[in-house]
Amino acid sequence: MQLIEVKDLKKGFGTVSVLTNICFTVNQGDVIAVIGPSGAGKSTMLRCLIDLEQVDGGSIFVESEPLVKDGIYPSRTSRRKITAKMGMVFQNFNLFPHLSVRKNLIMPLMTVKKVSQSDAETLALQMLSKVGMEEKIDAMPNALSGGQKQRVAIARALMMNPDILLFDEPTSALDPELTGEVLAVMKQLASDRVTMIVVTHEMSFARDVATRVLFMSDGCITEEGLPQELFSAPKHPRTQAFLRSVMEN
Amino acid sequence: MDANAILTTTLALMQGLGVVLLLFAVVLAASMPLGFFLTLLARCRILPVRWIVNAYIYVIRATPLMLQLFFIYFGLPYINKALTFSALTAALLGYSLNYAAYFAEIFRGGLLSVDKGQYEAAKVLGLNRVQATIKVILPQMFRVALPSITNESITLVKDTALVFSITIPEIIYYAKAAVSRTGNVYPYAIAFLIYLAVNSLLQWFFNWLERKTAY
Repeated sequence: MQLIEVKDLKKGFGTVSVLTNICFTVNQGDVIAVIGPSGAGKSTMLRCLIDLEQVDGGSIFVESEPLVKDGIYPSRTSRRKITAKMGMVFQNFNLFPHLSVRKNLIMPLMTVKKVSQSDAETLALQMLSKVGMEEKIDAMPNALSGGQKQRVAIARALMMNPDILLFDEPTSALDPELTGEVLAVMKQLASDRVTMIVVTHEMSFARDVATRVLFMSDGCITEEGLPQELFSAPKHPRTQAFLRSVMEN
Repeated sequence: MDANAILTTTLALMQGLGVVLLLFAVVLAASMPLGFFLTLLARCRILPVRWIVNAYIYVIRATPLMLQLFFIYFGLPYINKALTFSALTAALLGYSLNYAAYFAEIFRGGLLSVDKGQYEAAKVLGLNRVQATIKVILPQMFRVALPSITNESITLVKDTALVFSITIPEIIYYAKAAVSRTGNVYPYAIAFLIYLAVNSLLQWFFNWLERKTAY
């Protein structure tokens, strides 16, 4: 089943074009890794998908409903309804610092979906145990390590029961030791068949976990394919150069 | 100078304390919400609204509070008789309008300190603007603004002395009268102590609030 369809997406900041003619689809259970050099437009593309940035042209359909069609957006209410099908995990976690882990998880669910506190708390415990953080349920975010914060952020996104999870460089703010614990959670989600789009610089994750890889450069999807194909025999010179430089480092 | 005289003077000054506390409570209760409303209007998408609000904040902050009180109490009746207020109403109005402008700036600073990522996280979790403001932004803004709110509250207690200029007797008025009557400076010392006591209490309360809202 097709969950996302992106057609001819265009986006610029002022006179600078950031995304040009982006087209791709995401099916249920896909784990799409978006790789490419910094400034290629990966994060901007992801932010457009969840309406944190407005596109200049093109269409985004989420489960066949248009978030934007030919550059024209529907009402704010319809957009909120469509983006509710997705969750997002940010590079900088963006946990609410004034709320405990428990409240970070239950507040959005109780506020948006009007779920009772006891039901929300039961679910929060389930989600925290999924990411191995149930012991920290009463901790404040500033008492957690980066990896723990990111795992809580993943649990918080899962609380809203999204059909698609978007990750914007989820391990880029973490040191290598902490990166592993977050990647382990993401691998577990992938094996649970959670649909994910992951903007990442973690090539091992893209190669081993993704079902499809998009390589972006200069605002375009330069190459796309199965991870084993794209990593072992990249066709486009730009992809070859990028992978060569990444592997050398 | 005996204990009896000190007690009589202290009781006289306490009449003034009533006015100070009344002004403080009403002005704080009115000016903080009004200030926050002005902060929101100053960020509104309609440009003329922003201009008007920013001009208001600018004028209020750039002119003396005493002049504003004179304008409301003595000046407005010249413009229209219907704009004649009692001294207390004029004081409450003048102080509230003045302090709202300062609180608007304090809250603006608080809002600027909240990371953009917090708005984005609230949005992707499905919170609408009002929900995000109440549950996510305001608590963080308030925490950052708290030291400035404490400062402004202490200044408000001291600024209430200005109501003397529009004929409302308060602590300093009674202290001055007592000094003239007794020919001794101690009523001023009592006035010092009363202000110190009120502001110490306030400081203690806000310190407690800061600890309680720390994260």
